[in-house]
Amino acid sequence: MAKKNKSPEQKRYQQIEQKHELKRPVVKNCIKAFFVGGTICLIGQAVMYFYMYFFHFTEQTSGNPTVATMIFFAMLLTGFGVYDKIGQFAGAGSAVPITGFGNSVISAAIEHRTEGFVLGVGGNMFKLAGSVILFGVFSAFVVALIKTLLQIWGII
Amino acid sequence: MKEFKRLLVVLFLLVFTAVMASCNLGKTTEESRKSMIQSVHPHPTAIEDKNKNNHEKAEKIKKEVESLPEIYDVAVLKGEGDTLVAYKVKHMQRFRMKKIEKALKKRLESKFSDETFVVSSDYKIFIEAIELKQKIKEKKISKDEAEKRLQKIIKFQKELT
Repeated sequence: MAKKNKSPEQKRYQQIEQKHELKRPVVKNCIKAFFVGGTICLIGQAVMYFYMYFFHFTEQTSGNPTVATMIFFAMLLTGFGVYDKIGQFAGAGSAVPITGFGNSVISAAIEHRTEGFVLGVGGNMFKLAGSVILFGVFSAFVVALIKTLLQIWGII
Repeated sequence: MKEFKRLLVVLFLLVFTAVMASCNLGKTTEESRKSMIQSVHPHPTAIEDKNKNNHEKAEKIKKEVESLPEIYDVAVLKGEGDTLVAYKVKHMQRFRMKKIEKALKKRLESKFSDETFVVSSDYKIFIEAIELKQKIKEKKISKDEAEKRLQKIIKFQKELT
């Protein structure tokens, strides 16, 4: 795509704009995300140990109930309006863990509640999370395919 | 503020039910509880405890496993046919977990060729091994029951879902 030639006025405007534009505090955001995301994962690890210690789950199998529990926690926090505040503060730190996925499902459900249960909640619940599921399943399929082929060829 | 209080009540109820449920389910020992946060170095145990050879062998196996630099806590349970070896891997070495497991199994099978080994780095298997060891030590369980329990743990270790 060819770059559009800017008029002198536009250039001047850009210079002024750059002077006043607030710089994104990238490092600060990263640190916040690191600590909040880490705390969420720490809670997840505690839940995992809980399932391993008190129920019949091994390290391999305890992942599934842990994920479900963390989504349940995120659901409660979203419903009570706490997760929004955590999200505002931590950004990616609260969006990347599985709780962010739960939050996107529940917040969409709450938002479209007025449109009815079927077309509103049911139809819009996976508005954002749908793409996560789609690409998750697709990438899992591709990775499994590659692994199967490598195993057939005897490489791994 | 009202909503926050409601949230607190719900969270409290959740934690309360979880704790109550766990109190009923978990008849656990102190050693297994401690093993969650620190290394406990459990004594190697043989189910057939009258034969001294078995104990010595279990101890030898434990020493052999502990000689690996990646491993820091080992529980050995020697049954009639199978020997269960549960271990914890140092944190930064956990990326190489599968390789360590393979190497350990090979090493044990070459050194103690007359034994069948079941090795596991799974934390749950480690806890179960400690619990069974304690029961054998306190004589709360008969030999047959202990063997059955060991087989159950081995079967449990193979489960994937």
